[in-house]
Amino acid sequence: MIQLIAKRLAAAAVIVLALTAVMFFLQKISPVDPVHAMLGPSASPAAIVAEQKRLGLDRPFLAQYGSYLNGLLHGNLGMSYRTRRPVSTDLGSFLPATAELSVYALIFALILAVILALGSTLRWPGSSVFRLLLIAGASAPAFLLGIVGILIFYSKLGWLPATGRTSVLNPPTGPTGFLTIDGLLHGEPSVTFDAFRHLLMPALAVAAIPAVSIGRVLRSSLIGQMRADYVRTARAKGLTERQVVLGHVLRNSVNAALSMTGLQVGLMFSGVVVIEEIFGWPGIGQYMAQSIPAADFPAISGVTLLLGAGYVAVNTIVDILQAIADPRINA
Amino acid sequence: MTTLDTAASQPDTMEAVARVENLSITFRRGALNIQAVRGVSLEVRRGEILGLVGESGSGKSVLGMSLLGLLPGEPAPVTSGAVTVCGKDMLNGSAGLRRAVRRQHLGAVFQDPMTSLNPTMRVGRQVIEAAGSEDEAVRLLRAVGIPDATRRMASFPHELSGGLRQRVMIAMAIAGRPALVIADEPTTALDVMVQAQVLALLRSLRDEIGCSFLMITHDLGVAAQIADRIAVLYAGRIAELGPTATVLHAAAHPYSAALTRSRLSLSSERGRPLVTLPGEVPDPAGPPPGCPFEPRCALARDECSVTMPEPVEVAPGHLSACILPPGEVAAAFAPAPPASRITTLDEAAADVPAAPAGRPASAAAAEPAVAARVQDVAKTFRVKSGRRRVGLQALRGVSLQVAEGESVAIVGESGSGKSTMLRVIAGLERADRGGITLGRGAGPQMVFQDAGASLTPWLTVGALIGERLRHAHLGAAQRGERVEEALAHVGLPAHVARARATQLSGGQRQRVALARATVVPPEVLLCDEPTSALDVSLAAVVLNLVARLRRELGMAVLFVTHDLSVARVVADRIAVMYLGRIVELGPAEQVVASPQHPYTKALVRAVPDLGVTPAALPGEPASPLDPPPGCAFNPRCPVAEPACADPDFLPRLIKLRGEQDRTVACIRAEVN
Repeated sequence: MIQLIAKRLAAAAVIVLALTAVMFFLQKISPVDPVHAMLGPSASPAAIVAEQKRLGLDRPFLAQYGSYLNGLLHGNLGMSYRTRRPVSTDLGSFLPATAELSVYALIFALILAVILALGSTLRWPGSSVFRLLLIAGASAPAFLLGIVGILIFYSKLGWLPATGRTSVLNPPTGPTGFLTIDGLLHGEPSVTFDAFRHLLMPALAVAAIPAVSIGRVLRSSLIGQMRADYVRTARAKGLTERQVVLGHVLRNSVNAALSMTGLQVGLMFSGVVVIEEIFGWPGIGQYMAQSIPAADFPAISGVTLLLGAGYVAVNTIVDILQAIADPRINA
Repeated sequence: MTTLDTAASQPDTMEAVARVENLSITFRRGALNIQAVRGVSLEVRRGEILGLVGESGSGKSVLGMSLLGLLPGEPAPVTSGAVTVCGKDMLNGSAGLRRAVRRQHLGAVFQDPMTSLNPTMRVGRQVIEAAGSEDEAVRLLRAVGIPDATRRMASFPHELSGGLRQRVMIAMAIAGRPALVIADEPTTALDVMVQAQVLALLRSLRDEIGCSFLMITHDLGVAAQIADRIAVLYAGRIAELGPTATVLHAAAHPYSAALTRSRLSLSSERGRPLVTLPGEVPDPAGPPPGCPFEPRCALARDECSVTMPEPVEVAPGHLSACILPPGEVAAAFAPAPPASRITTLDEAAADVPAAPAGRPASAAAAEPAVAARVQDVAKTFRVKSGRRRVGLQALRGVSLQVAEGESVAIVGESGSGKSTMLRVIAGLERADRGGITLGRGAGPQMVFQDAGASLTPWLTVGALIGERLRHAHLGAAQRGERVEEALAHVGLPAHVARARATQLSGGQRQRVALARATVVPPEVLLCDEPTSALDVSLAAVVLNLVARLRRELGMAVLFVTHDLSVARVVADRIAVMYLGRIVELGPAEQVVASPQHPYTKALVRAVPDLGVTPAALPGEPASPLDPPPGCAFNPRCPVAEPACADPDFLPRLIKLRGEQDRTVACIRAEVN
């Protein structure tokens, strides 16, 4: 198991390295000249040359990549053309909001997927409703769910807030950046509750489609596994149907669903960007939305690298979880 | 505790732990009504082993599942009659009641221990689920003969051998001292040596625990080993029920008699076609109104097709569902089978499975032309074992020569490398070392064990067979003719060409596989256990067919099987393999009649047969991941000497003194 984890981590590192190479190459061929962007159109030629020297842009290509990598290792993602601050500082203030939204969306997606899959597979009166949800759910895009949610739960019912992360004026800061957790750590459960109310709608909107996709895969695995011989053995032992499903069938069914989760996380990131716009969520999505029109390449590449690394990390975890779930993978 | 309960509350169940009364089970499949069980009554007495014998489709497994209260199917099948276990209703009782009976009074062992155990749960936890506590689980694992039981608790099923897995299943089945264990083909997926071990274990468990067994099997030989009484099931009805010896040796029903007769054994006659049961089991969606066996019965009379005979007592404790007096049936089957009903005399001459006398005369004189020559072939697969990648030594230097038109059987347990050898000859695997020389004729063709899975489901039979004619540059009409010809050769009507594999029966599929292999007659036909998944009567038909095709098309046959009795009738010569090497090679009859290698001797003794108690070698087959040094068989060999384990000792095939064509690889043969 340790060997497998080491192997997966090494593979993940290689992928992230390849991603940095791609980002660096794109930066080099992009039409935006960083020096012009930094100094503005009225800079003197001498100042431009001096700035190029200062940034090391006169050095060979590989050496530049080397120092770029070295910078990355030290958390240096370059200066944003637009905000004139280090990209890492910008991300530091926008990332926690997005990370919190994404983590909750993923948790909601997994819980919903298991409920949908079990609810539609087990024999009970409501199973056809769950089957319908699995079919219809995939045809509701996240932005539509977000808007409909705002119309119903904010405008009509007034149950949930529609914008921002919190209505608390001075929310506690750190250590995790997750308001729901920091609230508890600072002994302010009201902050946690408020933050949770704020993220409920956007997280569910992001989670809906992944939940349906994962749920469908899990459902088909469950149905297949319920016919397996070992289920017959478990029943012959006199186990209850609940013991059979939760104790035997579920673990044998999660593998394909885990693969699907890994894929869906990539899609979820793009869902988050849209949803943040709709809910006025102060996260990376908004930062991106402002950076792209400004051709702020360091900001764009910083965000891309971060999301890419997050995607690789999630899929590495998926691989490891699959090996834990099925001992034959490791063998 | 449970024994006391039932004894106190239900005095009448002292005699029978399970009772089936006039049980009928019908599954609805679309517009079809599949009548799986049609009015069966029987009881399992306390402490007895009842053998439930039947071909596939006889309803024997459905009957077993009804006793477990686990009838499959959605929608649920239509049932009538009664099934009681320890006095509890297993047919109409609530789900909770049936589950409680399974928990307290029943155990179950199923056919394939690999798929019947949860692959992602440690076997210890699986046994604990049934046993209740860890200590009890360890005790049970010890009781079923699992060495090092405490350590094995932490193993996953895939880390155990087939025999150990089935022992784990048995440990779960006997947890909580059940009154009755349903064993559904518990040895069918196992090697013959392991089968003998498991049967011996079941027998001793019955004696120790005193529980009853319902032993469901298609093999009369297995039932004969272990059962006190045998119930023969045919087309969902009891054909015959009685004490084991009576059913086997004085059958009162023509079906039981025919089943006994068509069973292959080490004493089946080789010089003539195998006795077969003509025809097939009736369609369960529309069984005939009369006796279901009437269409295949050699003794049928007119009235048999009109009224369905009920099982009646022909002697105390002996039931038979046949209108003929038992004496008449016994007389008809006693001296010789009514051969004329089975095959015509002409066919008989052509159908001889193994025809050593029929070899071309030139073969005896000069060196016969070679169809396939295997020289010192070795093959190692890289597999993962735990954390390391290790070599699985499937073939460790094998040499074998198959003459034109000759039939050679390769016999061995799983892991002996017998299938790898076929695949290397077929060119499906590349040998690491050594050479394969094939004759000048058309390349080899293969027939596999699972005929259903080896036929592409969305292609028609005609397309499947026609595929092999692609390079012949034939017109569509000519191609169709050749396909029809090939189908006729294997005894299938021309219209089968338009069917798909899924629409055919198991026997028909194996015929199609043979037609595909022989539409362009190969120099060598490679058969990988083509009959081991078939019922006894069908297996005999396929073996006869292989023999006839071999004669008519002049092919050599290389036939891989784990079953010595099959090898003996199908082959001129037998090669016995153990752990990637041939340990004995010689004429089929002689190898079986006077085996020389200790391993061959053990194999012969382990074959289950009527009236013989097979003896199994103790212990597990050695692993091809780590073959023992010297002679690989030495750890299990009853006559091993210290020199056998010498790493420098390499057993070579040596000619037996005084015998031209028998070789054996044993240190004793070298010394002599």
